[in-house]
Amino acid sequence: MGKAMNHREGSVMVLGGGIAGIQAALDLTELGFYVYLVEKSPAVGGVMAQLDKTFPTNDCSL
Amino acid sequence: MLTNADLLALEGTPGNFTATVNLRPRYIDADSCTACGLCTQYCPRHHVDPYNEGLSITRPIHIDYAQAVPATYYIDPSSCLFLQHETCQICVPVCQSHAINFKQQPEERKLQIGAVILSPGFGKIDPKTLAKFGYGKHPDVVTSFEFERMTTASGPFMGEIKCFSDGRHPKRLAFIQCVGSRDIGCNNGYCSSVCCMYAIKEALVTKEHDPEVDITIFYMDIRTQGKDFDAARERAEAIGIKFVRAKVADVTPWENRLQLTYATLDGQHKFEPFDLVVLSVGLESPKDAKKIADITRIDLNKYDFCATNAFNPLQTSQQGIVVAGAFQGPKDIPESVTQSSAAASLAAASLKQVRGRGVEMKTYPEEQKVAADDEVRIGVFVCHCGINISSVVDCAAVANYAGDMKNVTFYTENLYSCSQDAQEVIKKKIKEHKLNRVVIAACSPRTHEPLFQETLRDAGLNRNLFEMVNIRDQCSWVHAGEPELATIKSKDLVRMAVAKARLIQPLPEQTVPVTAKALVIGAGVAGMTAALNLAEQGFDSVLIEKGDAVGGNLHHLHHTLAGDAVQSHLQTLVDKVTKSKKVDVLCNAELVQTAGFIGNFSSVIASGKGKTRVEQTVDHGVIIVATGGREHRPDKYLLGKSKKVVTQQELEKQLAGKAKTRAPGSIVMIQCAGSRGDDLNYCSKVCCNHALKNILKVKEINPDSQIVVLYRDMRTYGFAEDAYMEARKLGVVFIPYEVDRKPEVTEKGAKIQVRFFDSIMQEEVVMSPDLVALSVGIVPDDTDTLSKLLKLPVTANNFFLEAHVKLRPVELAVSGVYVCGLAHGPKPVDETIVQAQAAAAKAAIPLVKGYVKVDPIVSSVEQDKCIGCGLCVSLCPYGAIVMQKVDGKRKAETIAASCKACGICAAHCPTFAISMGGFTNEQINSQIVAFGATGDR
Amino acid sequence: MADQQFNPSILGFLCNWCCYAAADAAGVSRFQYPPSMRTVRVMCTGRIDPAFVLRAFVEGADGIFTGG
Repeated sequence: MGKAMNHREGSVMVLGGGIAGIQAALDLTELGFYVYLVEKSPAVGGVMAQLDKTFPTNDCSL
Repeated sequence: MLTNADLLALEGTPGNFTATVNLRPRYIDADSCTACGLCTQYCPRHHVDPYNEGLSITRPIHIDYAQAVPATYYIDPSSCLFLQHETCQICVPVCQSHAINFKQQPEERKLQIGAVILSPGFGKIDPKTLAKFGYGKHPDVVTSFEFERMTTASGPFMGEIKCFSDGRHPKRLAFIQCVGSRDIGCNNGYCSSVCCMYAIKEALVTKEHDPEVDITIFYMDIRTQGKDFDAARERAEAIGIKFVRAKVADVTPWENRLQLTYATLDGQHKFEPFDLVVLSVGLESPKDAKKIADITRIDLNKYDFCATNAFNPLQTSQQGIVVAGAFQGPKDIPESVTQSSAAASLAAASLKQVRGRGVEMKTYPEEQKVAADDEVRIGVFVCHCGINISSVVDCAAVANYAGDMKNVTFYTENLYSCSQDAQEVIKKKIKEHKLNRVVIAACSPRTHEPLFQETLRDAGLNRNLFEMVNIRDQCSWVHAGEPELATIKSKDLVRMAVAKARLIQPLPEQTVPVTAKALVIGAGVAGMTAALNLAEQGFDSVLIEKGDAVGGNLHHLHHTLAGDAVQSHLQTLVDKVTKSKKVDVLCNAELVQTAGFIGNFSSVIASGKGKTRVEQTVDHGVIIVATGGREHRPDKYLLGKSKKVVTQQELEKQLAGKAKTRAPGSIVMIQCAGSRGDDLNYCSKVCCNHALKNILKVKEINPDSQIVVLYRDMRTYGFAEDAYMEARKLGVVFIPYEVDRKPEVTEKGAKIQVRFFDSIMQEEVVMSPDLVALSVGIVPDDTDTLSKLLKLPVTANNFFLEAHVKLRPVELAVSGVYVCGLAHGPKPVDETIVQAQAAAAKAAIPLVKGYVKVDPIVSSVEQDKCIGCGLCVSLCPYGAIVMQKVDGKRKAETIAASCKACGICAAHCPTFAISMGGFTNEQINSQIVAFGATGDR
Repeated sequence: MADQQFNPSILGFLCNWCCYAAADAAGVSRFQYPPSMRTVRVMCTGRIDPAFVLRAFVEGADGIFTGG
């Protein structure tokens, strides 16, 4: 089993890459922090990526 | 970004955590995979597709959906023939980029981090709970998640809605609300807060598919309490979607249909057949909530969601760990997005000292000068995109065609233009052939333009000397059956792009410095929280309040529904604000005038009273609007005419007092007094909770008090549902009323009479209670003046309108202006605090950077041609054009930092004085000419 | 006339944020439509000067599509 150490000052871990995690990661990056976005599935996006339209405007969600 | 990853352990202290993460192998090398999809086509094994909620079949080697990030395929080991049985491996030779690697091993990584944000989302209701509605027994009973996929074009039926049993189109459809929520049978006593909205959405979408479908939504309360959500419900009713307040007891198969048994409010039992039944399933705490809690040592509430309190809604029980999204409590997308920004601001504040240390700045070579009269040397690159383009379009023919065009010095084809090696080729060719314009015919500029522009910068070219031609998404993919015509179309599009490229000029990268200070308007809980959060992040703010003192509406509140003491929190907040060296508080103050744009505002503020009133000018980079709202006082139900009629706010004050009679023996409460289609068109979101808060207080002081609540829908969403349940247990009577039969309040001598129709007993009732409490709505505090002053759009209900309801919920249309609290819409105090923190996060972004970048495609005015008519100023939706006097003449001028490059000004300028960077009149005209010039090159 | 198919030459002005995005989405979903339109991407349909439309007709367009 490979082992690696990531050391970076000023970094934050965001656990969960759904819409909440993605937004938090984006904002933190813009605020000057390095982010580890940790997601258990193979892609970020979470449940929102499964939605077709969103309430109440029925906009496209992707 | 670490995907396929599990958190194993978290050690350390705030500012210095070590997280251990296990990365599971995807068996595909992410850097090599080009997402061409060939492997999935060849993979022989079937795999149930979880992305489509198990309604369709994919292969073990696949990608969940085309737009997935990272855009890398992966192999699900649970069904892969090689990983299970060591056979097959067909995919390995099929992959043209040799990306498949079965030797990949799990990798453990240790991350050194300062703070943690938990956003694991939500879990789904156990199918056992759904079984009582026939789920799992009959194929035509589906969950709302499954139904969502069924209505989608990318779903299992390509967007057609069919019954699973026999493929017929359903004619009668039922939604059953509150499945797995508000249900103590499965220990989910809370309301999931989103199901009413998605059911209405799905019903509306279904009606779009087939207007003839008959849809009934069976509900207990329709909880569309969010901003402008009620309007969607009304829209649904208007197009014939039926809402029936009834409890569904049973779903039984009957012939080829499903028979619903339900009981209506008046005690009648009814039966009705449907073709398809959709269960509006709730949101549960994430499946691994307990594991996360074990690893991070945070506390959970009784429903296994993350435990927090009303005044620190995102702080977990562990310092340095904050929560965002549905794990904090069931919530919708805008709330989640707001919480995420707020969580980011909390993490940023706690790590202020090390800000910027982990971020590397990229450097570019010096930009090569390209003058207007230099020889135009265009390089055209035609992408095969694996076989995505080349299987339809004759790429070689397109490249050769381009090669014959005037000014095209170099042309070639790439297998994948976006791949790392192709980038190197492009850079090399730019230098080798002294190219000064680059045209790439590939996929969409919306996704790939930034990547190629980066390549240009790396090669020392201005990034605007670039034009992209979309021959994949808008050509090969949509004309798969017509290769010849698709090739002609590609040639035409390339010709148009080359024509434009000839006229492209480099555009300067502009940055504008930022004054690192905020102006916060309104010193209620929203404004104070925002200013304090900015202070914690290290930024100064001026906090102005039009009243005599800070505090706002919190002065009227005494405790929250969860029992937190409001006044002590308010005191703490006020102390912090007044003592903070970074917050400058001005009372009796108002904004007189603001000029400037994001990063560089200059405002005149008047403050003080009478003779001491002074005006001062403040320079600041951002504005946070927190002007709040107040109780609406409707001229109804004898409010203000009889002493026995009070608002919930007045009752709360009375209950917090010492009078012996403060909790009267009989009370009638009327919900939605003046709201939801009356004086106010909307739901104020907080009144139901406010009523329950007072009810529980009354019952605490005087357990014998008899309380009747007349309501339309009890909207105790989220965990507030517990309080509703508690009140009913304590014997409080809740009776719904219809809009056309509203209660009436009259005075009879010293007595007060309430007359209403009891929809349960089906009879008219007259009561003479000791007190009538009205749940009145919330109105915004004068948004008019500010909206004119700052050019901010408002909604039909006079609240400020956010830039994007879901994705930019605290930003306003004008760059550098943010909104939070009641000025945005009615909301309870915890949501206000979160929104204020989110606004502070967004406002801090330009302050942290110290500059704002201006996209060079903004408009510019040629002053010689400008006649000063001012048409552009009145048309600009962003306030980005101003009139200025130049040598005594009126001339328009663009504020580059505010411009969004829409080009309305350029299209309307009568003298063609306004030009858009990258979209000049000449460039667009050249494209149009090239469009017509089919023979020429 | 019945067997002669009309193959119009259409010029489309597409807004980057919505219609151009929708055209991309149509591709992702592999919706098929006739290859008779050529497109000009603009950042907003507000950019479309009526002069562009007239010019396109002059240059031989049979129809103009604006999407935003």
